[in-house]
Amino acid sequence: MIKLTDIEKVYQTKTIETVALNRVNLSINKGEFVSVMGPSGCGKSTLLSIIGLLDEPTGGVLELDGRPVKSYSDKELAHLRNQKIGFVFQSYHLINDLSVLDNVELPLLYRAGVGGKERRQRAHEALDKVGLSARTTHFPSQLSGGQRQRVAIARALAGRPEIILADEPTGNLDSVMGEEIMDLLLTLNREEGTTIVMVTHDEHQALKTERLIRFFDGSQVG
Amino acid sequence: MIRHLFTLIWNRKRSNLLLIVEILLSFFVLFVVSSLLVYNVYNYRQPMGFDSQNVWEINLNPGADTTAFNQKLQLTMQRLKAAKGVVGVTKTSSNTPFSFSTINGAYSYKGKQMPFNDNYDADDDFRDVMKLNVVEGRWFDRRDAASTRTPIVINTALKNAAFPNEKAVGQIFTDEKGKKEWQVVGVVDSYRAASDFAEDAPMSFRRRALDYDMTKKVSTYELPVLLLRVQPGSGAMLEQQLIKEISNVTKGWSVTVNSLEQSRVSKLKFVLTPLIVLGLVCGFLILNVALGLFGVLWYNINQRKAEIGLRRALGATGAGIGGQFLSEMLVVTTLGVILGLGLAVQFPLLGVFGVASGVYLQAMLLATLIIFALTAICAWQPSRIAAGIQPAVSLREE
Repeated sequence: MIKLTDIEKVYQTKTIETVALNRVNLSINKGEFVSVMGPSGCGKSTLLSIIGLLDEPTGGVLELDGRPVKSYSDKELAHLRNQKIGFVFQSYHLINDLSVLDNVELPLLYRAGVGGKERRQRAHEALDKVGLSARTTHFPSQLSGGQRQRVAIARALAGRPEIILADEPTGNLDSVMGEEIMDLLLTLNREEGTTIVMVTHDEHQALKTERLIRFFDGSQVG
Repeated sequence: MIRHLFTLIWNRKRSNLLLIVEILLSFFVLFVVSSLLVYNVYNYRQPMGFDSQNVWEINLNPGADTTAFNQKLQLTMQRLKAAKGVVGVTKTSSNTPFSFSTINGAYSYKGKQMPFNDNYDADDDFRDVMKLNVVEGRWFDRRDAASTRTPIVINTALKNAAFPNEKAVGQIFTDEKGKKEWQVVGVVDSYRAASDFAEDAPMSFRRRALDYDMTKKVSTYELPVLLLRVQPGSGAMLEQQLIKEISNVTKGWSVTVNSLEQSRVSKLKFVLTPLIVLGLVCGFLILNVALGLFGVLWYNINQRKAEIGLRRALGATGAGIGGQFLSEMLVVTTLGVILGLGLAVQFPLLGVFGVASGVYLQAMLLATLIIFALTAICAWQPSRIAAGIQPAVSLREE
C-alpha cells in the first residue's frame, strides 16, 4: 500500500545542510499498525509528513497503491490526502473557533459530492465512535486534552480514510488518557482494518502495535 | 463552503467586528465622495444652455460721473454694435456667466412659494448674443416694453417646479406679498451660468430697460455689464478699438474687458480646487484603510498558519486556501457594505441636500465597487501567501 524506496529529505539553508531522512526503504501493508520510534530530531515527523503527502522528499520514490507520488499534481495530492489519509496530531490541531461537530466535518468539506446533511450524519457517526456524541456543540477550549484528541481522531475517521497517520497522538496526554486513545486506535485498526502509522516516544504504546520501526539520525535502524 | 465561511466569520465576530466597522466607515466616506463626484460629473455633462465662446464681458464703472448714464450707455452700445468684428451686444446684471456674483429670490405662484432661483437681467438681444435655446413661447422683444408686468423668461427647471402639467407662457408670478408681478413670456431649456459643474437649477431672466437711476447711491454689483459676441479669432486689436470707442462716449469711466472663456477657466479652477483637495484627503484615507486591511490580513494569516496547514492536510488545495481567505474577506466586506448601504440609503429617502436620488444610487454603486475592489486587492497578496504556505512547515508552527 505504501512503499518508500531510498527516500531522502535534506533541509538546506545558506550555511547548513541537514539530512532529515537518509535512504529510507520501507513498505507498509494494508491494515497494518506500524509504530515509528526514535529520539527527537531523528526524522520521524518528516517521515510522516512525506507519507502524508504534506512534504516532498528530496530523493527516492514514494509509491501509494503502486503509483509514484511525484507524478501527482497539487490538486491530485490534495484529493489523495482527503480521500485516503486521516491525520492525528500531537497538538490536536483543532480550529478553536469551530464547534466539535464543525471540526469533525472539515475533511468532508473538501470532498466533492458530499452534501451538508451527509456531512452532519458522518460527523455524528465519527463522534459516536469516539464517545463524544454529547459534545457536538462544544468548542475545543471547553474540552480536556483527551477529549480534544478524540475529536481529532473523529475528524480523521469522518473521511473514512484507508490510512491514519498519527504523530505522537498520546504525547500531550497523561497515561490514562493516553491509554484511552491508544485503545481507540487499536480498535480502529482491528475492527475497520484501517492502516495506521504512528510516531511515538512511548515504547509501551509502541509495543502494542504490530510492527515497530526505529529511527536514528534520519536512518532506519530497526 | 459558504455556510462554513459564515460560521467561521460569525464565531470570530469579535475580531471581525472591527474590520466590519472599518469597512463601514470607509464605505461611507467613499459614498460621500462618490456622491460629490457623480453629482459634478452629471452636471458637467449637461448642456450649459448658452455659448460662451467668442463672448467678451465689458465692465463699465462711471465713478463720480452720474450724468446721463442711460443715454451714454445706450450710445456706447450703439457704437459697439456698429464696430467691425462685433456680432452682437447685450446688457445684463453683474451676475454674468462664471462670475462670483449671484442674485436670487423666490417667486410665488397662486400663494405658494416656489424654490429659490437665480435672476438675471436681460434685454432683447441677450438671446442672440448668448445663443440661448427657447423651447416654449418667445424671447423678449419690443412688445414687452408696454407690458404692465415685468416680462420674464424662465428655464425648464423652474417651469417643471412651478407648472409641471401646464403651459408656462402667460403664467404670472408674484412676490410674497402679491404686490409685484412677473409674466412668463418664454422658456429656455437651461442656463447654467455659475460654472461647468453647476446644477441646472431654477432661474429666470427679467427684461430690463435702460432705467438705471444713478442719482441714488449705486453699488458696483448694481451696474449693468455688457456682453459682446465677437467674430471668431478677434483679439487684442479689437479690444483696443472697442475701449477707444467706449472712451469716446464715456470720458472718465473705467473700462475692463475680458472674455467669458477666461472667466470660465478661472471659475473651473476655483470649483475644482476644493474637490481635488477633498479627493486627495479621501485618497489618503483610503490608502490608510487599505494598508490597515493589508496589515490585518497579513497578521491574520500568520496567526492562522497552523489552520492553513491543517486544511491542506485535510484536502484543501493551495488555490482553495487562497480562495477561502479571499472569500472570508469578501464576506466581511459584504457585511460592512450592507450596513453602509443601510446608512447611505437614508440620503435619497430623506432627500438630503436636495440631490436627485439617481446621484445617490450611482454613488452607492460606485462606492460598493471601489470598496470591493480595494478589499480584493488588499486580500489578494496575503491570500497568495496563504496559498503558498507549505503544510508540513505550518503544521509545526503551533
